[in-house]
Amino acid sequence: MKFVFNTTKHLAWLMACCFILVSSSPADGINTFTGEKGTLRISGGTAHIPVMKIAAQNVMGAHPDIQITIAGGGSGAGIKQVGEGLVQIGNSGRKASDAEIQKYGLSLYKWAIDGVGTVVHPENPVKALTSEQLQDIFAGRIDNWKALGGPDRAITVYTRDASSGTRSVFWKKALAKGAISPKAQFVASNGAMKTAVAKNPYAIGYMSVGYIDPSVAPISLDGVVPDLETVKSGKYKVSRGLYSNTKGPVTGLAEKFINYLLSPEGQKIVAKKGFVPVH
Amino acid sequence: MKNRSAGDILLNTYAWCCALILTSAVLIIAGYLVFHGFSTLNLDLIFAHTPVLEALLLKKQVFGGLLPAIAGTLALIFLSISFALPVGIAAGVFLAEFALPGTRKILGLMFDIMASIPSIVVGLSGFAVTIFLHQHFFKQLYPCLLISALCLAFLVVPYIIRSTQIALESLPSQARLTAPGLGATRAQNLWYVLIPMAAKDIVGGVILAIGRSAEDTAVIMLTGAVATAGIPGSVFSGYEALPFFIYYTAAEYADAAELMKGYGAALILLFICGGLYAFAYWIKKKVR
Amino acid sequence: MLENDRIPKLCLQIAAWGCAALTFGVLAFMAWLSIPVLKASNTVQILTQPWLPNQGQFGIGPMILGSLYISVLSLIIAGPVSFGGAIFIRITRPGIAGKIFQHLVEAMTAVPTVVYGFIGVFLIVPFIRETFLQGSGMCILSASIMLALVIAPTMILIFSQSISNVPREYTIAAEAMGATPAQTFFMIILPYAWKGILTGLILGFGRAVGDTLIALMISGNAIAFPGHILDSARTLTAHIALVTAADFDSMEFKTLFVCALTLYLLTCLGVFSARVIGKRQRSS
Repeated sequence: MKFVFNTTKHLAWLMACCFILVSSSPADGINTFTGEKGTLRISGGTAHIPVMKIAAQNVMGAHPDIQITIAGGGSGAGIKQVGEGLVQIGNSGRKASDAEIQKYGLSLYKWAIDGVGTVVHPENPVKALTSEQLQDIFAGRIDNWKALGGPDRAITVYTRDASSGTRSVFWKKALAKGAISPKAQFVASNGAMKTAVAKNPYAIGYMSVGYIDPSVAPISLDGVVPDLETVKSGKYKVSRGLYSNTKGPVTGLAEKFINYLLSPEGQKIVAKKGFVPVH
Repeated sequence: MKNRSAGDILLNTYAWCCALILTSAVLIIAGYLVFHGFSTLNLDLIFAHTPVLEALLLKKQVFGGLLPAIAGTLALIFLSISFALPVGIAAGVFLAEFALPGTRKILGLMFDIMASIPSIVVGLSGFAVTIFLHQHFFKQLYPCLLISALCLAFLVVPYIIRSTQIALESLPSQARLTAPGLGATRAQNLWYVLIPMAAKDIVGGVILAIGRSAEDTAVIMLTGAVATAGIPGSVFSGYEALPFFIYYTAAEYADAAELMKGYGAALILLFICGGLYAFAYWIKKKVR
Repeated sequence: MLENDRIPKLCLQIAAWGCAALTFGVLAFMAWLSIPVLKASNTVQILTQPWLPNQGQFGIGPMILGSLYISVLSLIIAGPVSFGGAIFIRITRPGIAGKIFQHLVEAMTAVPTVVYGFIGVFLIVPFIRETFLQGSGMCILSASIMLALVIAPTMILIFSQSISNVPREYTIAAEAMGATPAQTFFMIILPYAWKGILTGLILGFGRAVGDTLIALMISGNAIAFPGHILDSARTLTAHIALVTAADFDSMEFKTLFVCALTLYLLTCLGVFSARVIGKRQRSS
């Protein structure tokens, strides 16, 4: 009987430990949303959308009373809309400027690091460019692939609109603020850029490194290929943080969502989607 | 006995060529769409991984399926027609029954313009009004289902006005004389005699309006449609819609599976609009 | 229903005048919101300057040209085909084929424009790119081809209606005097129906200018002044859609109201011209 008593005590102790371990899930995991209801409006940078989508699906799947709407529009739109109170979280693929932070009273939360890479169609033989060649192509000074060793076809340049954080980072760091030809065709998001370049064998464009997949081919810039490793190590210079901005210090459902992104679970999603986690 | 000359042969050849060009263009497009999209038409397209019953009872959200977009489009149609129908019929009745000739001319012109305004201008106005109200009066107001429905109502009201007016004007004169001859007022005559008689023709205009609400993209792009929203929780929230999904997929599909969903969505929207058109055609045939 | 006719009539009046007021209200609203832009630089400049916001130039010239090029080209493509189609239905009248064609044209009016745009992106754009070996395929020509498909059905129905509106006495008389169908067509029907045909063209043009999705999805949206039908271009309508998605407070956004105002005025022009022509027809 002594043996049984000991076994029972040990068993009880073991069960108590398991119970404690199970119930103390990571403080910012999916369970913190329990009991919440309402709508969370998110908009802005399109590079953030894949991660936002998965995070939102996890939250909405576990808690059907919560509705999360995600829109694009670009970093500029995200900052403006959150500043005006049209959305609770405004994503931006560039750090909000001091003027913007002051004007809207923004709080910034960075949850990933990303790069902006130049991409072409996978069948394009051109695989490497120097900064100067890149600037010439986007300005329209080089307009045929044969000047770079490719086929004798005109280069179609794709670019983003003024609101895009991806564009402003690319323009500042890769193009050194050089001109972009007015003949460049416009696409409205990173996803649209990928689709456009993947469909057109003579295209060149730029997009978030996290979006790069086998349907497009990254171009090495001054010898450095834009991918997860080079962005992480800092070797690839054209990089930026992915921010979620709120008006004032974040509260409520938005706070829980941003904490979820910064939690181990959220950071795993970030890594899976091809970005560099901050934790 | 008809004479035939070289001119006839030329004219007929030209006519046949044009008819064949147009017909083959339509067949190529329809064929391409059906060919690529038919294989995707199954419950998976709409419900993805969520069990059908739970999705329909709103117990679980659908991710990766078209149900939210279809629900959004249906909600839009319902709301916009609820706004447009009473207003459209009232205005049409006024034009046909009570307006003086001068008024009729002015109003007719205004409604012609209303029917021709580009939908993006309507969307931009709706968006601008929303921002204006948001900044000055209602901090809680954003582009949402309600705003989109109101803008769509503005877009389709002219169809209903026009068909009501034409329907009432083509009623035989006995309809206006019989009941009043027995003591009914004009209003009673209108409500109990004229409108029921004209109902079938009015319905034609209403169905046209429904079709327009279902397919319009420019208005909803600017007033509340987003790429990801789930089933709309209230009229003040963002929502998804079929035509927006199709546009968005064409611009940025992440992989072949998403592209296939785009084809499926295009087919579904085509079926909805085609079905509405066939229904209107059937009703018109019944009138004869 | 009340014995008194006045309250129902008042409701109806409010409904009708309310709609008219809203229509005018849209114009007034767009005009009011355009004032800051038009004051900052004069109207001619706005309408003709290039769109280079980084350099402080907010001209909508390229977009006006883009809209005009695409609409005119689509009219050039659709006009003759629609005319031939109407002749097919009314003059050639090949029995069952004519009926089928007419039903097909009527059914085409039900097809959503976004579906045309979708097919255009995946069918026409690669075709144009590989046929002409130039550019990306997203150009004025591709957009015009799809837009022609959008406006053709309506134009065919209007043309066909104009042809059948010619009084039967005239055509019968001509036939009785030995005219061939072609002679009847050119000498009797056309002179009578040309105004209706012109109206159809104007309405088709209005429809083409007002369309957003086709140009947005297929024409490439470049901001340069378009020079060639294989160049990418941006229309007024696509411009509004693109900039609104990304902005709502800056000078760029405010110029959208000028775009909207231009579109509204072009629409009014179309409606007025169609009415004037129609009036002359009725009094002739």
